[in-house]
Amino acid sequence: MATIAASRIAALNRLRCSIFQTSYNPQSIRTGAKYLRARLKGPSMINYYPPEVNMATFVKGFPDEGFVDLDEEQRLQDVIDKKKRGKGAPKKAKTPEESRRNKKRR
Amino acid sequence: MSPNIRVLRDIKARHGVNANEIARRAYLYVARNASLPASVRYQAQLQLNTFGRYTRPTTVKNRCAESGKGRGIMSEFALSRFQFRLKARAGELPGVHKASW
Repeated sequence: MATIAASRIAALNRLRCSIFQTSYNPQSIRTGAKYLRARLKGPSMINYYPPEVNMATFVKGFPDEGFVDLDEEQRLQDVIDKKKRGKGAPKKAKTPEESRRNKKRR
Repeated sequence: MSPNIRVLRDIKARHGVNANEIARRAYLYVARNASLPASVRYQAQLQLNTFGRYTRPTTVKNRCAESGKGRGIMSEFALSRFQFRLKARAGELPGVHKASW
C-alpha cells in the first residue's frame, strides 16, 4: 500500500475546508468560536417562572383603572400609626460613624 | 403563593444573565481565543471579572415555582417532586396521570 505524503493530506484538508466553508485549523488551536456558536440562554431563562398575578401587579399595570390593593393600603396605614406612637423604623445613618452597627461591635 | 427571597434572587440572576449575555460572550471569545496576543486575552479576562455576581449563568438555579424549593426539581414543570405529585393528583398538569397497569 502506497503511503500518502503528509503535505498532500494537509492540502486536501485545506481544500475541503474551503469547499465546505469551515475554518482550516491544522494545529487545533482554541479559537473561542464555541462561545459565539452556542445559542443564547438568557431569553429562555427569564421565562422559567410563570408570571405572578396579584393585586399589586394590577395596580401597577393599570394605574388609571382605580384598582386598590387593600393589603398594601393597610400596611401603609400601619406604618403611619406606628410612627405616631414613636414605634417607627430608626433613622438611617448618614455617615459610617453614626451607624448603629459600629456601636454594637465596641 | 408569593415567591420567597431565594426565588426572587434567582429571578434577579436570570434577568442579569439575559441583559449581559452578549457582552460576556464577546469577552469570553477574546479571552479564550489562543490565536490572539496574550495581553489582549488578559485584558478581556480582567473585563470578565468586573461583571457582577448575578450576570453569570451558573448562579441561576431552577427552583420550584410553587414552593421555592431548590432540590428535587422537575424542570419541565418547574415544580419540586412533592408539588408535582400534589398538582398531578389534583389534575392540574395536562397529560399527567398516575401510572397503573
